[in-house]
Amino acid sequence: MKQFNRFLLIWDQKFSQILLGLVLFTTVFLLSLASPFFMTWDNWRNILDQSALQVIIAVGMTFVICTGGIDLSVGSVTALSGVCMAAAMHAGVSVEMAVFGGIVAGAFVGMSNGLLVSRLNLNPFIVTLGTMAVARGVALIITKGIPIYGFSREFTWWGNGHIGPLNPPMLTAVFIALLGALVLNKTKLGYYTLALGGNEEALRRSGVAYKLYKLIVYTICGITAAIGGLVVTARLNTAEPLAGSMFELDAIAAVVLGGTDMKGGRGSITGTVTACLLLGVLRNGLTILSIPSYYQQLAIGVIILVAIIISELRLKNAPGHGNIIH
Amino acid sequence: MTKNKRILTICLLIIFVLTLGGCGSNSNESKVVNEGKEPAKQVSDPKVEENEKILMDQLQPMPELKKGEKIGILVITLANPYWVTLKESYERAAKELGVNVEVMAAPNEGDTKSQLETLQAMTAKDYQGLIISPIEPYNLVPGVVSANKKGIKVVNLGPGINVDAVKEAGGKLDGRITVDFAEQGQRAAEYIVEKIGKDGGKVAIIQGIPGAGQSEGRTSGARKVFENTPGIELVSIQPGNWDRNTAYNITTNLLQAHPDIKGIFCCNDVMALAAADALVAAGKREGRIIFGVDFIDEAKEAIGTGKLDGSIAYSMDAYAKAGIILCLKTIQGMEVPKQVNSPLAVVTRENIQEYKNWH
Repeated sequence: MKQFNRFLLIWDQKFSQILLGLVLFTTVFLLSLASPFFMTWDNWRNILDQSALQVIIAVGMTFVICTGGIDLSVGSVTALSGVCMAAAMHAGVSVEMAVFGGIVAGAFVGMSNGLLVSRLNLNPFIVTLGTMAVARGVALIITKGIPIYGFSREFTWWGNGHIGPLNPPMLTAVFIALLGALVLNKTKLGYYTLALGGNEEALRRSGVAYKLYKLIVYTICGITAAIGGLVVTARLNTAEPLAGSMFELDAIAAVVLGGTDMKGGRGSITGTVTACLLLGVLRNGLTILSIPSYYQQLAIGVIILVAIIISELRLKNAPGHGNIIH
Repeated sequence: MTKNKRILTICLLIIFVLTLGGCGSNSNESKVVNEGKEPAKQVSDPKVEENEKILMDQLQPMPELKKGEKIGILVITLANPYWVTLKESYERAAKELGVNVEVMAAPNEGDTKSQLETLQAMTAKDYQGLIISPIEPYNLVPGVVSANKKGIKVVNLGPGINVDAVKEAGGKLDGRITVDFAEQGQRAAEYIVEKIGKDGGKVAIIQGIPGAGQSEGRTSGARKVFENTPGIELVSIQPGNWDRNTAYNITTNLLQAHPDIKGIFCCNDVMALAAADALVAAGKREGRIIFGVDFIDEAKEAIGTGKLDGSIAYSMDAYAKAGIILCLKTIQGMEVPKQVNSPLAVVTRENIQEYKNWH
């Protein structure tokens, strides 16, 4: 009986992830029945390659959403940091320095978001909506609207190199996801991140430098978006000022689908990663089945809505809703 | 709690059934479109036949037909009527030539990442050839390389994929068919200049997405004409992103800044129609020339009623057919010309009657 209770507890805590895992598994199973081209390594390599970018950006977004905030600027930051790297390299800066510079640019936008949200206590939705436009504008100004093309092999390796059967974006994604999970679940920073979303007031009263933690969380999100910029620029061997459009929505969708609560206080990197894979598998599968893009948009939208409805329904009936930290 | 979970399980089952039901019925539907419904037979038109003949002459000798090759086609987006028309043309041509085609697209005009993902998923299938039209010159490069690796022939139709970028990534394009974008811009601009007459005046250009091949080509062609004509002052080049609403707003702003503007060249018809609408709404349509490119159905109607002054046309049916033939030739290992260009026609208020049955 005791064991059964324990089982129920885990089941309850990990409900979203287990559910999502099952959905992913079933989707894969059904798609492999539906098309002989789905279950090939080449195709899986495509799926993993495409999901990698989304995982990288969504991990940062998970942190922000755990605090009860949101970051709409990630898509523009992806473009901006890619453009910064490209412009620097074309100006003769070494690859390492250019990449570093691009990531600093991303961190800077993230930090600005964090400062505005924490110090001035502004609404993150509006703040990041603003920085989204600012970052996009700067990217367009730097490039004058024309994509910057052609980099050294050393740089493009980050997008399309080979490491055994895998490639650098996949491994970067795995690394960032592991690091993210570790930080969120095992460190003080992770604990406070969840606490910020769960009960900011309590955190403030207990004398924690909660503004600092908020700043760090938004900076993390800027950095992961910038790493996303590295991957997308290297993969296409081009820095496009219009790259990354809708990335923010893809990332938010994955985070929410992964069981992180939009109100904050509860979140999971595993869930986010599973959700990215599910979305990747769905997009790929629908294309393989030659389903027109109209239906793809519709299907993905419906799935996200259903996921949110399920999670809300469940929470309403769960005890102590809103303050769960685990 | 258990009751709650039961409800959730049921919800979950419903999603599956819905998703799968959706998938199943959609794929059936597309089959019906291909096999059941006869694509509307077009009335033969001397202008189109002439256009088609010029194209086909560039493609001699013909490949073997009716062998049932499977060709995947990737267009830019089916949210733009131009690509929807082209898709229909592809499907008609495929039926005529006895090949199987599947037409895929990105969800919207600017989604370069989704377009690449779609192409990569397509390379995992059993197509023998692909005909692709990229959103911008670089976004599909990695997809071309993966198609090369799998031995799938790749033909680039319309906006160009950057050949150097493909080469650098270790791939190649097997064929290329396009229209001369600079010539489109040039001929539209020549008409505008002629209509404005020797008094001269202000003109503007509304581009597509900056950096996109069609947009840059058409802009540079038109720009050259405007800048080299004495009396004509090119006051502004604005990016309309192929978007109706953006083009509408640009036109309103242009009117504010230059109430005496005499001509606007738009890089496609959708934007030209929006520009015309904006002028009509401001009550300033009279005495201004609006010219588009592509000659979509809506433009045909608008030129007939005088809302639009003209458009640059090329036969979509002939274009799509030539694309498929070119792809078949590469699949069958035949020699192909380095680049095939589609001939152009300038359709205006004056000659619209001759183009009534254009397709």
